[in-house]
Amino acid sequence: MNILNSLFRTKDKQLGVAERGRRYDLPLNKSAGTGFLILLVALMTFLAVMALGASFTLGEMAQRWASGLENRLTVEIPAEITGGALRSPSDIAYLSEKTAEALKADPAVETVEIMGEADVQALISPWLGEDLSFEGLPLPGLISVKMRIGTPEAIERLRHTLKGINQDIHLDAHESWLKDLLRLTGALKFAAAAITLIIALTTIAAIAGAVRSRMAEHKADVELLHLMGASDLYITRQFQRHALILALRGALAGTAAGGLALLLIGLSAGNGGDTGLLPNLHLGTKHVLTLILLPCAACLIASLAARFTVLRVLALMP
Amino acid sequence: MIKFEHVGLRYGVGPEVLSDIDFTLEPGSFHFLTGPSGAGKTSLMSLMYLGRKPTRGLVTMFGRSINKMERPQLSAIRQRIGVVFQEFRLLPHLSAFDNVALPLRILGRPEKEIRSNVTELLEWVGLGDHKMMLPPTMSGGQQQRTAIARAVIARPKLLLADEPTGNLDDEIGFRLMTLFEQLNRMGTTIVIATHSQTIMDQFGHPRLVLEHGGLRVEEPKNWIRRKIEGVF
Ligand SMILES: Nc1ncnc2c1ncn2[C@@H]1O[C@H](COP(=O)(O)OP(=O)(O)O)[C@@H](O)[C@H]1O
Ligand SMILES: [Mg+2]
Repeated sequence: MNILNSLFRTKDKQLGVAERGRRYDLPLNKSAGTGFLILLVALMTFLAVMALGASFTLGEMAQRWASGLENRLTVEIPAEITGGALRSPSDIAYLSEKTAEALKADPAVETVEIMGEADVQALISPWLGEDLSFEGLPLPGLISVKMRIGTPEAIERLRHTLKGINQDIHLDAHESWLKDLLRLTGALKFAAAAITLIIALTTIAAIAGAVRSRMAEHKADVELLHLMGASDLYITRQFQRHALILALRGALAGTAAGGLALLLIGLSAGNGGDTGLLPNLHLGTKHVLTLILLPCAACLIASLAARFTVLRVLALMP
Repeated sequence: MIKFEHVGLRYGVGPEVLSDIDFTLEPGSFHFLTGPSGAGKTSLMSLMYLGRKPTRGLVTMFGRSINKMERPQLSAIRQRIGVVFQEFRLLPHLSAFDNVALPLRILGRPEKEIRSNVTELLEWVGLGDHKMMLPPTMSGGQQQRTAIARAVIARPKLLLADEPTGNLDDEIGFRLMTLFEQLNRMGTTIVIATHSQTIMDQFGHPRLVLEHGGLRVEEPKNWIRRKIEGVF
């Protein structure tokens, strides 16, 4: 008897809860395709996490390259004199010394280092092959320069100084390939942004389409609410809430999966070594912020898409 | 309260279902709307609850022309009209309670007030034990009583009922007619479409008779007799 009593009491309570928790005048959550829509939002959010994650990582990489190379210059004293004749090693050594002194005198220069023969050989060997001997091979003189501030004017001034010493001396500010790299990462970041935009538009289209079909499905009920004097906002709220809950569920799942994927990629890529070329692929502040903001953005997009779709359809009613 | 001037209505390219309808209903009046089946009673009702716009003519409701009204104003007017639809139009997935509560929720009334008012009215129409029942599982009479309860719960200024006693036995039909009478005494203007001669004779109210697309107003016989008796 007691068991029966408590059974009935829980049943009563459930009925009471169902009544108080009545969220919908329209049974939108029972519409066909709700599961599919949640899955779609989840996939879209996952893709957005990936695209934005890639974009931030690229940005970080480009910044590292830029800051690592910006203040470094290499001065080359070619082994060959313009015209074809070879420069003697002693000539190269003499020119290197002179050039180094001239560079040190410039206020923008921090350190100057003439690279030894061994260093130069080590730099060149990857291009020549291990088995080739350097015996008798004319090697250029290389000077590594670190600037205090690598402004274009300072670099131009150095070029001018060097030309005064010898026409052949070449200053490499790494500008051209750095520029190419930055252009490449810029393009990739743009692509990521475009993908994110497409994802947002796709989500809007999917939500708007779903809302339209649900309005058609519940046309009679929507009309009834309208005839009973329900304002457009009252009716809109029903659909907006539906879209919001649906988007939240999908976006949370998608973000969780995306975050996990980023983490795994970060782990498998290691910490980028000591080359300074690759950034640490751990989740940065921007990534974490994205993971938090994306579900909010998805909900906002979904509920606004639902709102405007419903208002447009309602405007056609008398 | 309601004023129709030269109102005509046609569906699509069909013939005029209503033509040159002219009448005025004073606030607090009680009218029967009668006429043979297919005469246009439901169509005329739909014009009065702003379910559609007339193809021609002027409709004035609550002292304002609806032809020039904006959407929010139309909603506000609809909120003051209670309608019992001929085919009930209950929301099938909402319980009797939630169906009846709907107009109050649309008005944004507090949930506590809704609970007590709806419960009381459902008991009054004999559905106290079926609050959680869903419309598809109700009998025709139960649906009709739910629909009537929903139409009157928010104390409308105008009540339009389309054959509201068609599915009810005489006793409960009479009971609901007295509910309408009570509402009328509290100031609600009432129009009831019916072709039940018994009910019209029992409650002596003037009749709007629809025939061949036109409308004429008839004072009831006993009403006239009562007037004559009053004179002599
Ligand atoms: N939605 C509609 N579309 C087209 N014709 C309609 C529609 N509703 C009613 N009619 C036609 O209008 C006429 C009047 O119908 P109705 O207003 O339902 O009459 P009553 O309620 O008096 O039986 C009928 O000939 C009917 O066929
Ligand atoms: Mg009818």
